[in-house]
Amino acid sequence: MAVSGMLKVKDKNPEATLEELLAGWLTQGKLSAILVPVLAKSGAAGAALVSDADRIAGTAPLLPAMAVNAASVVRDIAKLRSEGTKVGVLLRPCEMRAVVELIKLRQVLADNLVLVGIDCPGTYKAAGFRDVAGTDSDFDNRHVREQQNYYDNPNLRTACQVCEHPKPMVYDLEIGFLGLDPDKELWLDGATDKGAALLEGVELAAGEEPGQMQEYLKELAARRKNKAETRIKELDEAAMGPENLTRYFADCLNCHNCMRVCPVCYCRECFFDSENFQRRLDEHVRVSKRKGLTRMPSETLLFHLTRMNHMMTSCVACGICEDSCPAGIALLPLFKKVSGNVQAEFGYLSGRSLDEELPLVGFREDEFTAIGEG
Amino acid sequence: MAEFEPRIVGFLCNWCTYAGADLAGTSRMQYPPNMRPIRVMCSGSVDSVYILRALLEGADGVFIGGCHPGDCHYVSGNYKARRRMVAFKSILRSVGLDQDRVWLRWISAAEGRKFADTVTEMTRAIADKGPSEFRELWEV
Repeated sequence: MAVSGMLKVKDKNPEATLEELLAGWLTQGKLSAILVPVLAKSGAAGAALVSDADRIAGTAPLLPAMAVNAASVVRDIAKLRSEGTKVGVLLRPCEMRAVVELIKLRQVLADNLVLVGIDCPGTYKAAGFRDVAGTDSDFDNRHVREQQNYYDNPNLRTACQVCEHPKPMVYDLEIGFLGLDPDKELWLDGATDKGAALLEGVELAAGEEPGQMQEYLKELAARRKNKAETRIKELDEAAMGPENLTRYFADCLNCHNCMRVCPVCYCRECFFDSENFQRRLDEHVRVSKRKGLTRMPSETLLFHLTRMNHMMTSCVACGICEDSCPAGIALLPLFKKVSGNVQAEFGYLSGRSLDEELPLVGFREDEFTAIGEG
Repeated sequence: MAEFEPRIVGFLCNWCTYAGADLAGTSRMQYPPNMRPIRVMCSGSVDSVYILRALLEGADGVFIGGCHPGDCHYVSGNYKARRRMVAFKSILRSVGLDQDRVWLRWISAAEGRKFADTVTEMTRAIADKGPSEFRELWEV
């Protein structure tokens, strides 16, 4: 049974209020552990799997910095069948969407997970976040408090600046604050039995989802969509084509970081690292003879275009690929554009629903019938 | 300058289009020799990487031949190939590459004539387009 309502925030400190809620889940044995964002003493912004309730106080559930898409972490820890444990994962909307894709791709087993989604006004790059946050111990709270400032803040990660989905779509429990005054209250929505179980014994002011949350989201989505469309138009006007496309990826070092950090690029062994892709020296020479010379490292553009083909239906445009690119290639706008186009072909949106079939898994006999008929 | 001869890489399904090509050959049907056929077990087994590699290495066209819908030897490989082609062409359009250099056609083992005609048609269409820009572009 679904349970939802408002949680009163103590001392104008939503982060501490959340920490208390999370710690309660551990002390009451509702969860064995929980994956939470942290800002370590070293300055590393990431996540931690916390099993000791006393250690929750050192975490940062509202941390506005993103080092990795935590869906990659969930994929790493929840791939194998496990017994007798229940782990909560606190995820931002783009991370949750990626987890939804991974569940459908059978790369994450959700049986022992409780999906806790949290609203996100946008994040900073993890690298350099120390300098942004400084010594302000209230920085995380300030970030959610001043959410209107993040409609189009140019200091956010580029993906966040054009993000139209700042609210989780699939979850057992949602922690919402967009459109609210987070110094006063947080919206908790336990949409499933698992989510509702976490709210057992939690004092909530019962009620419907407040209208101002939807208002805020509409405004934010509209502004961001506008910005995203501008970016995409710039790309459309550049029209790409062989020359421009080659120039776009000209600085690629072939390091494959973009693939390694991508939450939905899940293959244990990438095709590009496989034996299939190894060429003998004589084969390299044969290929070189076609054009007289081969760029080395070779087939960088092939790598990017193939990656697009393999993961575009599941891309959530989190932009972690761009953050990880040592050559500074603007991957996000291109991948957002291409994934948007591909998903639109199938009326699909990555991470929107667990029931929507992955476009490249299913088929219908009576669709796309013009293709193949000449 | 010598007349432009298109180079087309063809991926032909073992059960239908490859047999159709065989029929065209044994029936002594004439068609342009511009397609380099590669036999694959199913049109559904042609990963985009192979099409892309051919295009980036300078092939002027890529042809994929499969069984008619409903006739796949593996029941549904061609339906999956069809969805993959929808995604593939969407990506080509999105990055400004010429989607009309890639053809997917259903040709059965009995359709030798259709195979010969399709290769003729594609060779003409690609000849009209001219050589692929990737023939010269080596920095890929």
